[in-house]
Amino acid sequence: MASPVVAQRPAETPARPGRRRRPGIGRRDHLIGWLLIAPAMVYFIIFLLYPALAALYYSFTEWDLHSAPIWVGLQNYTDLFFDDVKYPHFWKSIQVTLQYTLVAVPLTLVTALGQALLINAVRRGSNLFRLLLFLPVVTAEAAVGAIWRWLYDPQYGLVNAVLGLVGIPRQNWLNTPELVIPALAFIAAWQCGISMIIYLAGLKSIPESIREAAVIDGAGPVQRFFKVTVPMLRPTTFYLVVTGIIAALQVFGLVYVIFSGGGNRSVTGGPEQSGLAYVLHIYLYAFRYNAMGAACAMSFILLVFIMIITFVQFKFMKQEAS
Amino acid sequence: MSRYQSVSDEGLIFFCVLHYRLFNPPEKEMEMIRRVTGAAAAAVLLAGLAACGGGSEEGGAGSATELTYWMFQDRTPQAGEVVEKIRTDFEKANPGVKVNIVKIPKDDYNTKLGSALAGNTVPDVGILDQPLVSRFALEGTIKEVPAGTLNEADFWEGALNTNKVGGKLYGFPIDHTAVALFYNKALVPTPPKTWDELKSMSAAIHQKDPKVAGIVVPKGDGYGAWMWPGVVGGAGGQMVDEANKKILFDQPPAVEALQLWVDLLPSSPREITDSDQAFANGLAGMMISGPWDVATIKDQFPDLDFNVAPLPYKTTPAGNIGGENAVVFTKGKNEQLAWKWLQHLTNATNNTVLAQALGGFPVNKEAAERDAATFGEQQQAFLEQLKVAQARPAVPQWIQINDEIIAPALESALSGKMTAQESLTDAANKTRALLGWNG
Repeated sequence: MASPVVAQRPAETPARPGRRRRPGIGRRDHLIGWLLIAPAMVYFIIFLLYPALAALYYSFTEWDLHSAPIWVGLQNYTDLFFDDVKYPHFWKSIQVTLQYTLVAVPLTLVTALGQALLINAVRRGSNLFRLLLFLPVVTAEAAVGAIWRWLYDPQYGLVNAVLGLVGIPRQNWLNTPELVIPALAFIAAWQCGISMIIYLAGLKSIPESIREAAVIDGAGPVQRFFKVTVPMLRPTTFYLVVTGIIAALQVFGLVYVIFSGGGNRSVTGGPEQSGLAYVLHIYLYAFRYNAMGAACAMSFILLVFIMIITFVQFKFMKQEAS
Repeated sequence: MSRYQSVSDEGLIFFCVLHYRLFNPPEKEMEMIRRVTGAAAAAVLLAGLAACGGGSEEGGAGSATELTYWMFQDRTPQAGEVVEKIRTDFEKANPGVKVNIVKIPKDDYNTKLGSALAGNTVPDVGILDQPLVSRFALEGTIKEVPAGTLNEADFWEGALNTNKVGGKLYGFPIDHTAVALFYNKALVPTPPKTWDELKSMSAAIHQKDPKVAGIVVPKGDGYGAWMWPGVVGGAGGQMVDEANKKILFDQPPAVEALQLWVDLLPSSPREITDSDQAFANGLAGMMISGPWDVATIKDQFPDLDFNVAPLPYKTTPAGNIGGENAVVFTKGKNEQLAWKWLQHLTNATNNTVLAQALGGFPVNKEAAERDAATFGEQQQAFLEQLKVAQARPAVPQWIQINDEIIAPALESALSGKMTAQESLTDAANKTRALLGWNG
């Protein structure tokens, strides 16, 4: 399991070796090195770098996938931002995606940390709980979508049944525009298994001595949590926030199965476009409306946005444990 | 949030676009590489493409003339047998001819076809989605049907019109389908014929049992927007007038059609009808759907006593239409033979069995009328409905207009955010701006 990248960083930059390299061995080392990374590089170039560059090229063209692309310069970009006749739901899809990210990421992290703390506290059978809590992650997305459609069913859904026990009236979750984002974010939180495992690893790496010292100093459980556990988990949290935001901005599979996939359901992203995630919007233009050029442009806008957001986080968020 | 793997791969979004769906990666990659690396690579890759495309380039050496036909993947093994029999019959009747049938999953079909067209490895003849006919015709990707090849009187008009662009015919209808009114016999003794009867029936059902909705009112989404023109037609209206470049879906018949759906909502609350399979579960007295649901309901809800009636109308019986068309590609070979093949698929002998295998209804009038009795009780209404079906507007951007403009307009009226007239006026103006039409 990938441990927090940032925490390891200091160890990864060794001082340059002072000794002279022996040329023969060095070259052979180089060759072996290249050979070892060759499969990854081939994969990277063919399946990531090349399509990325191709997409960049196509973003400056009008291309319907079957006739030759026509160079249009920046027109796709300006139309996306300013022409709401051609792209009526572009800004809406951005709004939906940002709202989803703002709700889903914190909810997921809190759920993951909560689950990790519980599992960490369990003495027997923690493997079983870990397995159960991790199951939603390994479940096929199509199945997840189908299951949650039933759970959110306005008539027979378990969610309404449970809420009914505490007196909350029945809701039509996936068909009320205001409830769609919370409903989706809840599913994301339910699928927080990977974050949970990473948090669990983070918890295990907190030295017992610190906790004991805090106990001796008279800190209660709540104080220990906020003064010891949370600060010590900061690198983990940072990693999860960064990757979580990137993933949330790209949410697609879930919205696609719930609102578009299969049969004769809506293809327009839920009631009043309330579930029109940005990538779903890209998908519709790429493969339903034959506007691959515009779809590539949207992809690049998202790429740049993600890079900026990630840069800002690296710049301004506290990353080190304290 | 579950996709951390993809996050570690840079988090680049366009991979979703180029990768996510994983449809025909080889062709796609090949096609793109070809563009970048030029002619040398193209030769090699095109050979690969040709291989993928079922070897359409081979066979020139022998005396047999080969015809390549693309169609959707069979729905059932039985359907495959039907197609195979039609193929061998054709080969027997035309000695020295070999028909290569390439079957492609429906979801991947358009993309594969796009790659093939870009890679010059097109089939000679193949299925084409109805709303794509106009785009392909205007681009010159498909051939106009030569005079004398198809006798228009032999076909249902609605199905035929799905192949017409600017008054010219660009393909053969192969099978067609439509939506009609499903009704639960326990709740609806006689199906409503008019809008007024529909409204009072819906109200009566809901009044009798508040837990049951009158009818599943379609939603403001792409699917609802596909069905809606059938209702507009029921008030004597049309969506657009292509010849004169006029938008008509902000006119009174369309407004009344949308108002009908709005008026049905009080007796058909969404919290009931949004439940999964509300009609089949007996939670709604009626619903609008297509023949595919007959089989599903019979299979999964054998106890439900239901039947299907033509759509209620206000002034004129009307309906929408879907189904499969077949076209001859400009870059293909053996044009004469290709038209002959399409005649073979749609003649009175073959069309019924073929249409049934494809999950639709015959487009050939003689076949439909002769074989009407062989369709089940619940299918009769669709046969009636198809006689009055109206084709989608032959506008290349229609899918986009349907999904991005009309669907949201329906939703704003259904959710009560705007009146039917306001939302349709707004949608019509947007459509005019998009198409550059003035009327």
